[in-house]
Amino acid sequence: MRTLKTSEAAAVLNVSPNTLRAWERRFGYPKPQRTAGKHRLYTHGEVAALRDALQEGLSISSAISRARESLSADTSILVGALQSFELDRADGAMEAALALRSVERSVEEVLLPSVNEIGERHGFDSAPWAFAARWAADWLQRAQRLAPPPMRPAAVLIGDATHDDLDTDALALRALQLFCVRSGARVLVLPVSGVSGLVDVLRAFEPQVVVVAGAEAPDDQVARWAYRVRSAAGPLQITLFRRGRMDRARPADRELAFGPGEAHRQILEMFDGGARPASVSAPHDEPALVPRRRRANA
Amino acid sequence: MSPRPQLVALPGYADRQADVQFCGHCGRAAAVDIAQPASRVCGRCELGLLIGAPPQLAPAPSDPFLLVDSTLSVCGVSALAEDLLGLKETEAVNRHVNELLVPADAEASGPGDLVNLLMHAARGEGEVHEVVVRPTSEFGIRYWARIGPCGPPRAALVVLGDGRIR
Repeated sequence: MRTLKTSEAAAVLNVSPNTLRAWERRFGYPKPQRTAGKHRLYTHGEVAALRDALQEGLSISSAISRARESLSADTSILVGALQSFELDRADGAMEAALALRSVERSVEEVLLPSVNEIGERHGFDSAPWAFAARWAADWLQRAQRLAPPPMRPAAVLIGDATHDDLDTDALALRALQLFCVRSGARVLVLPVSGVSGLVDVLRAFEPQVVVVAGAEAPDDQVARWAYRVRSAAGPLQITLFRRGRMDRARPADRELAFGPGEAHRQILEMFDGGARPASVSAPHDEPALVPRRRRANA
Repeated sequence: MSPRPQLVALPGYADRQADVQFCGHCGRAAAVDIAQPASRVCGRCELGLLIGAPPQLAPAPSDPFLLVDSTLSVCGVSALAEDLLGLKETEAVNRHVNELLVPADAEASGPGDLVNLLMHAARGEGEVHEVVVRPTSEFGIRYWARIGPCGPPRAALVVLGDGRIR
């Protein structure tokens, strides 16, 4: 994917960098990514689509609307491919999406909405949903294999509290995992149902951020898992991702954004802001995620 | 001996005045000293594209106006029209013009008049006309609107003015 700096994107559109920033504020388009130094980085596809639309547009709004439509064609193609159970075409649609966007945005703007649309059309217990969800999980796994090796001294532990691979939150969890891996972090996903031997794993992995993702596992199970994690890795803050009905004992427990992209950004902020380092075998404090009634009995 | 061929100017073209360029957002005339003369983007507000219209139709900076294409979809709403109609341009774009404005003239033959005028204007045809419109679903409010062709690209310009064709 080709990217442009602000000055380059402004030159393509024949406007000033200030104009480009003004459009971002008013219209939310073009939507740049940020480099590690917080500089804007525009995707060439978005800028080119806007340039073409501006030539035939009557207003910036209508041109942006047209540019967005041309970009959303990828979603339609992917939905069509998944509807007709054509895996090669689905892969092709994602390749086309990647030509215009980053992996993160392709996943958030094309893959996840398309698969979700299949679920909404046919039901989340239907065979087309299962087909689409399995393909999407496979695609995310393949993308992860192409990710660069870990570069940051950062480790994220994700407690998988989803039901199974066909859980609607499972794909978002896989997407979050992919984004973290691509940003150079080590990521370990463990089911919250398994606590046996967890201490040994965590002593080797030494996570700095712990995320509980998914809403299916019961609170008791998650609390037991979180207790074990804290026993092994120290008093880490547990963050929640797509866990709406958690009985949170501590208001400080942080809830991540619903979208995996935004959640990933929040996780990176936690690293940049100095997440508490793991201290293996540190004395563990009060288990934070034990339901209130159990704590009262203790 | 055959008469010498001559070029004859078609009526209405020879005496046609040059279009006035104005910004589709702030409504102000195009600045001649804008930083990027090749760009269609307004050098003053940076939020609109420059559009051309006949002098008798082009809006004054204090006139709210809308741009409508040949499918009668709203393509642009000036900043003043946003305030007047109570909606943002981003919400109005791609909506049918009748969702925003309908004829309010009791003597008009019907809503088709407004539609016909807009369609003719959006095709680049017709003179500047004046109609009375009101916001859809609102009564007791009327605007005198000038409707005529503008562009490029071709579209109809609806200037909500004071009722006097200049």
